[in-house]
This record gives sequence, C-alpha cells and structure tokens, in this order.
Amino acid sequence: MTGKKLTVIAAIILAGMCVLPLGLGIYPQHVLIVSLFYVMMASSWNLLAGYTGQVSFGHAAMAGIGAYTSGILAVKAGIDPWIGVCAGTAIAALLGLGLGALCLKMGGIYLSLTTLAFSQILHIVIVNEYDVTRGTMGLQVPGLMAEYSKITYYYIMLAAAVLMLTILYRMIHSNLGLNFRAVQNDEAAAKSVGVKVLQVRILAFTVASAMAGFAGGLYGHYLLLITPEIPSLDLQFNVLAMTVIGGMGSFIGPIIGAFALNILAEKIRDYGEYHVLVFGLVALVVARFAPNGLLGLWRRFRTPTAHPLVK
Amino acid sequence: MALLEGRKISKAFGGVQALNQVDFVVEPGTIVGLIGPNGAGKTTLFNAVAGAFKPTSGKVVFDGTDVTGLPANAICRRGMARTFQVTRPFAAMTCLENVMVAAINRHPAKPRSFIETFAREKLSFVGLAEMEGFEARHLNVIQKKRLEMARAIATEPKLLMLDEVLGGLNTQEIGQAVEFIRSLRDRLGLTVLWIEHVMGAVMKAAERVIVLDQGQVLMAGTPAEVVADPRVIHAYLGE
Repeated sequence: MTGKKLTVIAAIILAGMCVLPLGLGIYPQHVLIVSLFYVMMASSWNLLAGYTGQVSFGHAAMAGIGAYTSGILAVKAGIDPWIGVCAGTAIAALLGLGLGALCLKMGGIYLSLTTLAFSQILHIVIVNEYDVTRGTMGLQVPGLMAEYSKITYYYIMLAAAVLMLTILYRMIHSNLGLNFRAVQNDEAAAKSVGVKVLQVRILAFTVASAMAGFAGGLYGHYLLLITPEIPSLDLQFNVLAMTVIGGMGSFIGPIIGAFALNILAEKIRDYGEYHVLVFGLVALVVARFAPNGLLGLWRRFRTPTAHPLVK
Repeated sequence: MALLEGRKISKAFGGVQALNQVDFVVEPGTIVGLIGPNGAGKTTLFNAVAGAFKPTSGKVVFDGTDVTGLPANAICRRGMARTFQVTRPFAAMTCLENVMVAAINRHPAKPRSFIETFAREKLSFVGLAEMEGFEARHLNVIQKKRLEMARAIATEPKLLMLDEVLGGLNTQEIGQAVEFIRSLRDRLGLTVLWIEHVMGAVMKAAERVIVLDQGQVLMAGTPAEVVADPRVIHAYLGE
C-alpha cells in the first residue's frame, strides 16, 4: 500500500472516529474511551513484545505507575493533573529504563517472569500502602478539566491515541524499526551486523513504558478513581490477548484487537468476569494456530499464493 | 601489517579446553582457509575473534587495534563481518530487509532510497535479487548462506569471515562457489578468512591455510605445504 493511500485511509478513519460518539449515549461513549485506552496499551506493548521480542508482563504495572504518580501528586500536593500525567510518563519511562536494564541479559520466559514479579510487587505495595494509595478502596482524583464531560474525555483520549500511534508508526518504519525486528528475530545475528542490541532493547522498554505511563495517567483522571485494577494482571492479560489476537508485530493488529475485545468484553459482561478466561483461551489458540493474529489470517486469505518459490 | 592477528587465544568451556594458545595472522588481501577435523575449534575461534564471546585469555588484534572482548556489534563496526555455520537469517523479515539491517547500521544517516539500492546491489551480488520480497524463512539452506553473505558484505567489512558456506553443494556448484569467493576479494577487495570442510575448494581458492586440531594450531602454510604435511594427514585420517 502506498503512503498516500494509507494517509487517506487513516484520515477517513480518524474523521469517522471524530463523529462516531456524537450520536451515542453516555455508556457507548464510555466503552469507546476505555477502548482507546486499550489501543494505547496494546500498541505500546506490541512495540516491546511484538517488535523486539521482549514479552513483558509489567506493562499494566507501568500504566499503574503513571496513574498513581499523577493521582498522588494531585491529591497530596495539589498539582495540576496535566503536569501530573507528564510526571507519571517520566517516572514510568525511568522505571522502564531500569526494568529493561535488569532484563538485558534475559530472554523468553525469564524476562517474562522477572517483569511479572515486578508487577506483583508493585501491586502488593499499592494495596498495602493504604495511607498513600488508599489501597483497594481506590484513590479519588480530580479530573482533567473543571467540568466533567464525557465527550471531551473522548476527544482527549482520541488525540492521545492518535499522537501515540503516529509516534509508533514513524518509529516502526524508521531505521530503528528495522533494528527492533532484527533483535527480535535473532540477537546474535543482529549484533554481528552492527546492531547495538543492548541500546535497542533498553530503548524499546523505556519508550513502551513511558507510553503505558501516559495512557495510565490519562485513564486514571478519566475514571476519577484509581484502584489496583489498573496495575493488575487482569489488565495485563487483556492487553496481551488483544495484541496476540489482533496480530502481534503488526501496526494495525493491536488496534483492531483492542476495540474488538473491549467491546466484546462489554457485551458479555453480564456473564461475570469470565471474559478474561475466554480471551486467554482464544489468545492461546490464536498464538498456536495463527501466530500473526486476525490480521495475519486476513492477509493470508487475501493473498493465498504468497508462498515461497523454493529453488 | 597483518589485518587480523590472534595472540595466544585460549577458550575453555568448563573443563573443556576448546582453544589452546592459538596464534595466527591474516594478511590483508588474502584468502585464508581455516581447516581441521570436527571439534578442532574452528567455529570457537571465529566466535572468540568476532566477539560472540570473550576468549579466556589471549588477544585479538584487528586492523592495528586490540579488539579482545569487545561486543560483536562494535567489532562489526570496525570492519569485521561474519556468517554463521548454522545460518541465522532474520527469519520473519524479507531478504531485502535482512540486508537493509546491515546497511542502516553502516550508513545510519543515509536516506531510505540509498539504503534500498545499496541492499539490492548486495543481494544481486550473491544472486538473490529475485528473492528480495520473500521472507528469509522460505529460503533453502544454500540461499540462506548466500543471504548471510549479502548481509555481511553490506556492513562493508575489511575482513569477511565465512563459516562453512559450501556445505550441501555439488561438484559443479562448488566450482562456482570458489569463483564467487575469489570475486569477494578481486571485485570487492575483501580479505577472507574461511572455515571449510570441502577440502578441494579450500585448496583451490585459498592462498594460505591454517590447520587447527584439538584447539591448537597444527600448522599454517600454502595449500601445497598443508596437503603434503604428514601431521595434517594424521590429524584427518589417524594412524
């Protein structure tokens, strides 16, 4: 697809997204806002897991860092939420840098377990530090603007998502993106052709964590109540399922996955929290039988002859 | 001055002494064969020289500077490139992208159009031009070896280290491959250090041959000297 055609399609979708909530009620608007949060989470996690092969389970924790940093600053020090969101982004970036450095020599399951431990430790701290975080009761925080307006929140989240996706798109299609994929495919080979593998891995961790922190910060100020549900494994596995089912390692996959699964989750909410279980199972099946997700299936269907001519 | 010099390189894996005080030189502009029976330590020597791991002791001097223990990417930037015995292409990337990764790290400031043209040149040099859009995992072993060579050449090295690039070829193809390896030096001006099991090919293309056996240099000399040496015959065939 040419760049021009792509720009036109993106513009049409964006225009659609701008008018979409106007005819909708409060509840569908809420679902869309949450979906946009998940778009940001899944797309940034995809940068880390899909493009550099670092399957971190600490991504929801980074969103929690962003949300709690901004929330605590607002509640305890009266700092403006917008500045708080920036601070949360910065702290998440720093922690991402540290976590990335810690995991540098690890790959595969070891990295996943280490980040899982990080996420669990953070969760325990948040639940227990009641004086600071209000534990499982949740921290009541001010909104991003004086007057609460769903539609304004929608546009803020949309703008944030568009900004983030633009950065991600440019990154993936730059030299850095090629280096990311080289590292994911084969670290030793990447090193042998001059890729600074350690830098690339840490950079991906830092950028992805900053993005999660940013998304989490905004999300917290939208919900007005920050609970340990944000830095939770439930949320982490949602993000994972959305990315894997949508199509890991592709730009569009996580976006589709985030909308599809979040809307689906709302539809089946009446049956309890089983959707997490169902998504987990579906993600497993997809990862086994269609490793490139729904997007990969669609592409395979579109171009059935894209098979090798082996000489 | 030698382009590459190994000084008393040793490498132990636990109790196994894979390399023991290996001394060798590679003069610029030459094709040097590195031979030896299985388990002699040839690939270990490659890895120790190219920075895949650090030698236990000893020194690697490349192009006048000590590069011992530098990471592989830093050594690559100084002008040393390699292929792998068991091929390691970027499997889920296209052939063109595989070579582009090498190109962007050699020419980080160049525009994408330059990088693509540059990478295509390297692909055609190894005869993979028509495969550029295919993911590397679809290639057969011989094509993967060629892809790795294209990738290595795209780093614009002074020294190219090839690890068994002829495995699986028939006699006629080996003849072509020998021509190809000569062209690396004659057309691209590369110095080549080349591990190979196909003895006939090494003897035809290389000017010097280093023989490793049980982690030590058994001898080094011209191909004629090497094949005539009783120690070499003994190492390969036994008593």
